[in-house]
Amino acid sequence: MTYIENVFVCIAGPLLLATFFMGKKYYGVFFFCIAGMGACLLSAYVNTFFAKLYNADFINATTQIAPVVEEIMKLLPLLFYLLIFEPKPKKINIAVLIVAVSFATFENICYLIENGAAQLSFILVRGFGTGAMHIVCGAIASYSLVYVWQHSWLKVAGTFGLLGAAIIFHAIYNLLIAHGGLTQYIAYSLPVLTMIIGKVINGIYKSKHYA
Amino acid sequence: MIELLDNFSQLLITLLATIGAGILFYKRRVQAYLLLTCFFGTFMLGTLYWTLHFYLFNYTPQVFYVSELAWIASSMFLLTLEYTLSTPDEKKFRHPAVWLVPIFCIPQLILYLLHGDILFNLLICGLTMAVAWHSTRGLIYARRQSGEQRAMQYFHIVVLLIIILEYCLWTSSCFWISDTYTNPYFWFDFLLSVSLFALLPATKKAVGA
Repeated sequence: MTYIENVFVCIAGPLLLATFFMGKKYYGVFFFCIAGMGACLLSAYVNTFFAKLYNADFINATTQIAPVVEEIMKLLPLLFYLLIFEPKPKKINIAVLIVAVSFATFENICYLIENGAAQLSFILVRGFGTGAMHIVCGAIASYSLVYVWQHSWLKVAGTFGLLGAAIIFHAIYNLLIAHGGLTQYIAYSLPVLTMIIGKVINGIYKSKHYA
Repeated sequence: MIELLDNFSQLLITLLATIGAGILFYKRRVQAYLLLTCFFGTFMLGTLYWTLHFYLFNYTPQVFYVSELAWIASSMFLLTLEYTLSTPDEKKFRHPAVWLVPIFCIPQLILYLLHGDILFNLLICGLTMAVAWHSTRGLIYARRQSGEQRAMQYFHIVVLLIIILEYCLWTSSCFWISDTYTNPYFWFDFLLSVSLFALLPATKKAVGA
């Protein structure tokens, strides 16, 4: 059994203390870092609750419950930020990515505590697979949220649509891993491939519009 | 086998429709095409997960809402699209025929609540009822217009067709007969795929109106 709340206290403590010394300018970075890890901690509780409620086995819990719960939990601190502070587009991007990175980092730490860190190959897969998947989901949300929140007619449907897209990406990744065999290798390469394709498309778009 | 064929064909059709609507938006930069792309895209994503789950595990996802969330999002985009395309006069227009929508939908909603999940059914039926309400009103309004404005009727007809087929699909899923082509569920789903694709030219006509 992993006492993830203890792990959370252990990691969030120094960050919280550092916040006081870094000055107002960096409050946001630390806030989103702690919010991302907090979202991961709460996701674990909510996942367990729903798995018990629906009497779901391991495969159903990872392929159906976890993606929905985790993506919603990741979006909540951002929605709070968007609704209360009405930030500039550039700040939204950074906030979404910090939440996604800290979520993935905390999840990886808990995974390492539970499973050990002896096998480097498995940890590499974990880091560049699951870690990258959270970043891709964050990137899907961040790049599009900036556009969506600039248009009042698109806010509600757009946010919901982006949440749906991120959930489906996460769920497909978990689904392919749960199936095992060759498909799990497709899953591990999916986030990195998506990131590369996204970068290429972004590069082409920028070269066309800013040439 | 028929279920897999049905799912794959719907996935392919919605993927093609997403690409088509995306190209239209890229070329013309019209708000309606962006909403249409989002509608097809989210619908396609929901179908993609559903199809993959069925293909890999031989059963459809039944524990939690993954595809359902994407489908709810697609209904939201369709509702936003309808609102965007309607004129101020159309928004003010009232006709008693719109009450046929709740008369048709609510009894079926009660059936779904008895057979399936409460939260999802309330959300999706509420949204589809709102879409059907708008398109019924829009259809009557468009048919009273002349010239290019009348072309809006095709868009509303296709939207109504999609909603009716979705209700037929959900109702037939409550009385599952078999996994063969004799099950009306598959025929409604095939028809739904065709009518989904028909929304692309219908929206093109509505945007031109």
